Amino acid sequence: MSDNSYDDVRLTPARRFVLAMMALLVGGLAAAVLSIEEEVIELRDLALGNLEASGVGNPVTAVLLNYRSYDTFLEVAVLLLALIGIWAVAKKARIPIKSPNTPVLITFERLFMPLMIVSGGYLLWLGADRTGGAFQAGAVLGALGVLWVAASLWTPNDRLRRLTRPALVVGMAAFLLVGGGMMLLGGDFFEYPREDAKTWILLIETAATISIGITLVMLFIGGIPPNADQNKGESGDHD
Amino acid sequence: MILESEIWLALVVLLPLAGAILTFMAPRYAPQIGTVSGVIVFGAVVALTLAVVESDATRLTVGGWGAPLGIDLVADGLSTLMLLMTAVVGLAITAYAVGYFGESSAHKRAYFWPLWLFLWASMNALFLSGDVFNLYVTLELLSLAAVALTALVGQPAAVQAAMRYMLVGLAGSLMYLMGVAFLYAEIGVLDIMALASVSEATPPVFVSAALITAGLMMKTALFPLHFWLPPAHANAAAPVSALLSALVVKGSFYILLRLWLTVFAPLGDTFAPYVLSALGIGAIIWGSIQALRQPSIKLLVAYSTVAQLGYLFLLIPLLMDDGADRQAVLSGIVYFMIAHAMAKSAAFLSAGNILHALGNDRITSIIGMSRKMPLTITAFALAGISLVALPPSAGFIAKWLLLNEAIDGGQWLLVVVIIAGGLLAAGYVMRVVGPAFRQVADDQLAVANPVVPASMAWSALGLAILAIVLGFTGVYLLDVLDIGVVILTGGEA
Repeated sequence: MSDNSYDDVRLTPARRFVLAMMALLVGGLAAAVLSIEEEVIELRDLALGNLEASGVGNPVTAVLLNYRSYDTFLEVAVLLLALIGIWAVAKKARIPIKSPNTPVLITFERLFMPLMIVSGGYLLWLGADRTGGAFQAGAVLGALGVLWVAASLWTPNDRLRRLTRPALVVGMAAFLLVGGGMMLLGGDFFEYPREDAKTWILLIETAATISIGITLVMLFIGGIPPNADQNKGESGDHD
Repeated sequence: MILESEIWLALVVLLPLAGAILTFMAPRYAPQIGTVSGVIVFGAVVALTLAVVESDATRLTVGGWGAPLGIDLVADGLSTLMLLMTAVVGLAITAYAVGYFGESSAHKRAYFWPLWLFLWASMNALFLSGDVFNLYVTLELLSLAAVALTALVGQPAAVQAAMRYMLVGLAGSLMYLMGVAFLYAEIGVLDIMALASVSEATPPVFVSAALITAGLMMKTALFPLHFWLPPAHANAAAPVSALLSALVVKGSFYILLRLWLTVFAPLGDTFAPYVLSALGIGAIIWGSIQALRQPSIKLLVAYSTVAQLGYLFLLIPLLMDDGADRQAVLSGIVYFMIAHAMAKSAAFLSAGNILHALGNDRITSIIGMSRKMPLTITAFALAGISLVALPPSAGFIAKWLLLNEAIDGGQWLLVVVIIAGGLLAAGYVMRVVGPAFRQVADDQLAVANPVVPASMAWSALGLAILAIVLGFTGVYLLDVLDIGVVILTGGEA
């Protein structure tokens, strides 16, 4: 292929063939979608019927944190694993912003930080009964963290950095301890006690919110922030 | 209430995840924490196996809900054997990695362990999952961990191979997920047994089978979708190559096997199983020929994986044929997976030792090495015996089981392919073993770094010995496979 192959948009025979195959695939999938019958088994009634026992009023939260909490646990693990994978390859982060501390950004940040923390917490609380929950709240906190980094308020000597790793794992650890703990105490794996299911769900969601928020910030930075790696000085070596 | 045997289903997933968190929190002590975790996880899998052998297949209802509302974890004979295979290879790789990463940079040492424990946990979760969406989540965990481990060595070739691996893996996962969406839309549940009880050969189920099978074929690297495998497996660090080739590709194949035995059983009399079988033939021939042409040991072993994976698909038509002894066909396929896991991990770990000693793994540089590295070359030779399927190795028993069923089923083309594949394997194994055992004068042996850490030499040899010994203990393993594995009859039934 030539260097400018990306600019070349002519319809060569090979491309016509690929186009035809893709059209065939899309057509086939569309035909299959149209031929779907009524569901044989109705899961919706079962999910709504057990809402009371699940401890929360929002069916989405009931599915994510109770009926299928094991899926969500593994999803939280995926987030942590993705970050560890990036740190394994990317090594030292180049914190993207070297801009001077612009007064506008800093003032904006100072005004909005409390608001964003409150709205994050509110979203987390709301998740029990309406749309909201750990992922939404974590996204708001993550955005706050990104602004914080962008405004250079987060400097390499910041003491908060020592909390980076604990904050990254706390969501998955809480999930693991609650899920496994319930089992070792005689319940089922991930079975919350019926009367305080909501308390346990909120506890896990709070921990997950912290981890999701900090993971998003770390993904934005794109590598190991200085000092977050406890292998001080050794971390960047090659052999 | 939870029974004691059920606790182990949860623990074999939770324990490696706990180990992964701890190794990430305390990177300086990662090798120690990782080793202890590896031993504990191995012990938990053995405990689970004993529980299943003693008290039959076990189902754990997560959250106390039970399928179809909740997720069930299931340990039957098939999942238990897969867990055990992973645990045995995993324990050897854990021992190997202590020596291997002991000499590398602190960065690699710190990051190998959490990634490896994440990978082990995701394999265990995958083999136990009884739910098609939960399987998707385990596939995502597995792919991410495998890609990150591939890239860990940091060389451009490895990072590029990891990138390609990730794109293929992602495409495969998305196709799988789309197939799951079709199943859910058509039937309305995600639990495998609930799906299987009402699944029929309707167009949406057929499209779902096509999407899921194609996606998992990409992840299993079935010819002609194998193109990503040789660079990824050959450029990764030796312990990573071993676990990618011996274990990770088996994860996606296991899902394929499980779903065709249950949810897709009504499609058993379509042309689909024959397509898989034909591609298996292509894999054996193409992979073997490529292995005969590779200049380096790791590439040769990687192409051997492409070829050996073909055998897993060869007898799928018989597995789906109500007239055949389907339990026996399944035994052959599962035995092949286990034999290949032992032999292939031993081969990659030996190749890693050779690379460590010589500084390169070109086939031309290993002439006469059997005198300098007797343990390593013996390990490679024993692994080779099992790959070629000479008696009394595990590979021999596996191929003998497959051959028997092919003959009983009157599939003469498959009989020819199985025998020809063995001859081709003998050809590429001898390309390494022949020169290694050649007698040469001492001054012609150029060894840069002949002292391989003991844990590296012995773990490779241990796996190679297992690849032979499992040839004698086949009956016990196949008895375990009979525990509670559901094989649904397809077609008009």
